[in-house]
Amino acid sequence: MDRLYVIGRDEVPQRITLGAGESLRATFVFPSRVDSALDLTVDLTGPGAELDLAGIFVCADAETVDIRMNVRHLAGGCKSNQLFRGVADGRSNVRFDGLVYVAPDAQKTEAHQSCNSLLLNEGARVQTDPQLEIYADDVICSHGAAIGYLSADEMFYMRSRGIPEEEARRLQIMSFLSPVLSRLPESAYSLIGFQR
Amino acid sequence: MDEKLVDITSKQYKEGFVTDVEQEYVPKGLSEQIIRQISAIKQEPQWLLEFRLDAFRKWQKMTPPTWGHLKLPEIDFQDIIYYAAPKKDADRPKEIDPKLQETFDKLGIPISEREVLAGVKSKVAVDAVFDSVSVTTTFRKALAEKGIIFCSFSEAVREHPELVRKYLATVVPSGDNFYAALNSAVFSDGSFCYIPKGVKCPMDLSSYFRINASGTGQFERTLIVADEGSQVSYMEGCTAPMRDEHQLHAAVVEIVVEAGADVRYSTVQNWYPGDDQGRGGILNLVTKRGICKGEGSHLSWTQVETGSAITWKYPSTILKGDNSASEFYSVALTNNYQQADTGTKMIHLGRNTKSRIISKGISAGHSQNSYRGLVRMNPGAAGARNYSQCDSLLIGSLCGAHTFPVIQNSCPKAIVEHEATTSKISEDQLFYCNQRGIPPEEAVGLIVNGYAKEVLQRLPMEFAIEAQKLLSVSLEGSIG
Amino acid sequence: MIMNEVLLDIKGLHASVEGKEILHGVDLQIRRGEVHAVMGPNGAGKSTLSAVLTGRPGYEVTAGSVSFAGRDLLAMTPEERSWAGLFLSFQYPIEIPGVSMTNFLKAAVQARRKAAGLPELSAAEFLALIKQKMALLKMKPEFAKREVNVGFSGGEKKRGEIFQMAMLDPVLSILDETDSGLDVDALKIVAEGVNSLKTPQTSAIIITHYHKLLEYIVPDVVHVLKEGRIVRTGGRELADRIEAEGFEGIDG
Repeated sequence: MDRLYVIGRDEVPQRITLGAGESLRATFVFPSRVDSALDLTVDLTGPGAELDLAGIFVCADAETVDIRMNVRHLAGGCKSNQLFRGVADGRSNVRFDGLVYVAPDAQKTEAHQSCNSLLLNEGARVQTDPQLEIYADDVICSHGAAIGYLSADEMFYMRSRGIPEEEARRLQIMSFLSPVLSRLPESAYSLIGFQR
Repeated sequence: MDEKLVDITSKQYKEGFVTDVEQEYVPKGLSEQIIRQISAIKQEPQWLLEFRLDAFRKWQKMTPPTWGHLKLPEIDFQDIIYYAAPKKDADRPKEIDPKLQETFDKLGIPISEREVLAGVKSKVAVDAVFDSVSVTTTFRKALAEKGIIFCSFSEAVREHPELVRKYLATVVPSGDNFYAALNSAVFSDGSFCYIPKGVKCPMDLSSYFRINASGTGQFERTLIVADEGSQVSYMEGCTAPMRDEHQLHAAVVEIVVEAGADVRYSTVQNWYPGDDQGRGGILNLVTKRGICKGEGSHLSWTQVETGSAITWKYPSTILKGDNSASEFYSVALTNNYQQADTGTKMIHLGRNTKSRIISKGISAGHSQNSYRGLVRMNPGAAGARNYSQCDSLLIGSLCGAHTFPVIQNSCPKAIVEHEATTSKISEDQLFYCNQRGIPPEEAVGLIVNGYAKEVLQRLPMEFAIEAQKLLSVSLEGSIG
Repeated sequence: MIMNEVLLDIKGLHASVEGKEILHGVDLQIRRGEVHAVMGPNGAGKSTLSAVLTGRPGYEVTAGSVSFAGRDLLAMTPEERSWAGLFLSFQYPIEIPGVSMTNFLKAAVQARRKAAGLPELSAAEFLALIKQKMALLKMKPEFAKREVNVGFSGGEKKRGEIFQMAMLDPVLSILDETDSGLDVDALKIVAEGVNSLKTPQTSAIIITHYHKLLEYIVPDVVHVLKEGRIVRTGGRELADRIEAEGFEGIDG
């Protein structure tokens, strides 16, 4: 299954269960300039279940984005991967709370989570709480989270090649978002303020 | 490996002996009366008694924090003796009781200057705290020549009240949290050290805490002040006898680092961890915090946590001065039924402040081991950076490893990066060691020491060797 | 100790990995002082053979027996096999971050001495030993300070294995694809090392699927392992024939 969910437009499940051998590839878009929230629990309940989940947000104004992810490996031999990329500009407020839970005996679990954000304005705020709660030993789990700003070196490099500042900034943001952006149909770009 | 995992756990806690020494106690329980009594025994000034009573009133209105990933046994705060001290020998008040001397000798703590001067032990000044009192502090004279004050907290209150009053509770306010409030009300002894402006402390300072008496808690309080441009390396160690009941240890450590000063604080925490069934052990509920107050100040925390039934501890730094920096290097090892919830807070207020967090968790047996951290970039922290790396290693399928970082950024000119991994001890590495003739248990010790090396190498030499041994010993029984 | 006595005796060895049988009945006898080459194409079971002999977890022996210097090898733990004098030069040496080669070998040497009822070496004796062996293999002193296999090139890893072999004085060394990933110069150095450690009492198994290493370490006996069985045994001329014709034409 390959699904695209636009928060506020599509009906978004609160709980997804993936049984043995089932897989889901889902991408969540948090549209710009509106408050949006996602509170999702994904249970991996049978061996071989695979989750490949991504989310993207580009906050431009004073919106709040509230993401609560709870991925639970209840059976062994499952894989999950979560990839979130976002931008907080204006006076926006972003909160990401992502738990990966690995139950006792859920051996041979592979779980990864990454949530990186760009903070572009003084009034904006990002809080990221990635969490790993692991009760089995034969696992490979990781999470990464970063909150930073655009690289001045990159900016200078592009401008020295004649790219105007605004365009360079747009390109940098696109490059930062690209791991998730590449999963979207171009028709969805306008939802997050990118014109094609 | 799994089928070979047997919990035969013959964990050797070699510091588990009891010293038979006559002690004086205050009655069991906690009340204003008890606090007044402790203050009176210590002949404290009125302001300090008031500080205690104020903290006690705050504490009475507070409840224990429950957010830790811990199953804390219920603590009956009325069932604890809040003050216990070895009786002074009236005939020889200047000398250390030979039994205490013997105790610290047995623990390898150099409380005799002669031994150190003879080159038997490396040069380090020691404040030795036995239950509620400091029994001796070495090298005070040598240090005093440089203007350094290193003494027990009680003496500092008597001899340098202005300094204590100026800095006490400026980093950890008395009502900061439940256990800090308790400590502020009943704290007994601990170490005080003051390094004057521009002075580089000529030797490492260390405090050694020993719980001996049964039914007591230890509530030490340590205050370290590094004035402008000074430097000091401070080490803390601790042990306790093996007992079936839990004993409470609720300490507060405050560190003030003025402009350009550099403080390195190292801990090897080896409180009695309880037996292989999870009976007994120290409840280690500790508040440690430092402030990098001035421009370019630096505070480095290094901790090796192998002991205690329960550890609840988050040595933290407030980075207030511009260009100040702090690091937190931690190894936390849990085995049997131990529980640890430990980590750090880095609060970036100043510009260009830097922090680095390296945490290595090792869980074995039935233990639960959590890293909990907070990194906050306040709006004024332009140019600030943090990097965190938290790794967890699992040995056996019955333990848990958890990572709970909180990352807050409100500054568009600050960068926070956090990475964490969790995996089990590598079977390939174990087999490789076995093939070379290194038996499984020793191989685990070797691999774990290698895994923790980045942290261990931050410790002063003697401490590092002790910590290495401790990691291996603490893992005994984790693999059959 | 008699020369020419049988050191390793493998009889009807069947072994599986994850339920799949890889070795379908291997018979092999090695006497003291002999060098045997085990050659064969990829997937023949060469590395499974070395894994089973050293007791690597995950490999299950389903039938057969192995005796080593008169003892039941299969009943021994990996470290007991090591103490008895069995050494494996790993095809892919394992990295152990944070542990220096010196500390690693100290642990290995002392454990072996303890098992043999010998007193531990003093720090000075151990350093002298490590220096002597490094000189023998023309290794730079810094090598001992590096973390075990961490950041080593392919050639350095293989030289590191031979260095460990020198430190542990094995009775039987198994060199599993020690030549893979080595250029000719590195190959010569490794071969020189192996040859210099050879005694009339000790034996070696060279596992390879190339001829190259055997030009420098001359085998007494060559076996061809195919599909989990030894299909041909001969002298060194067998290796030359494989070099010329490949494994295709060689059958039981």
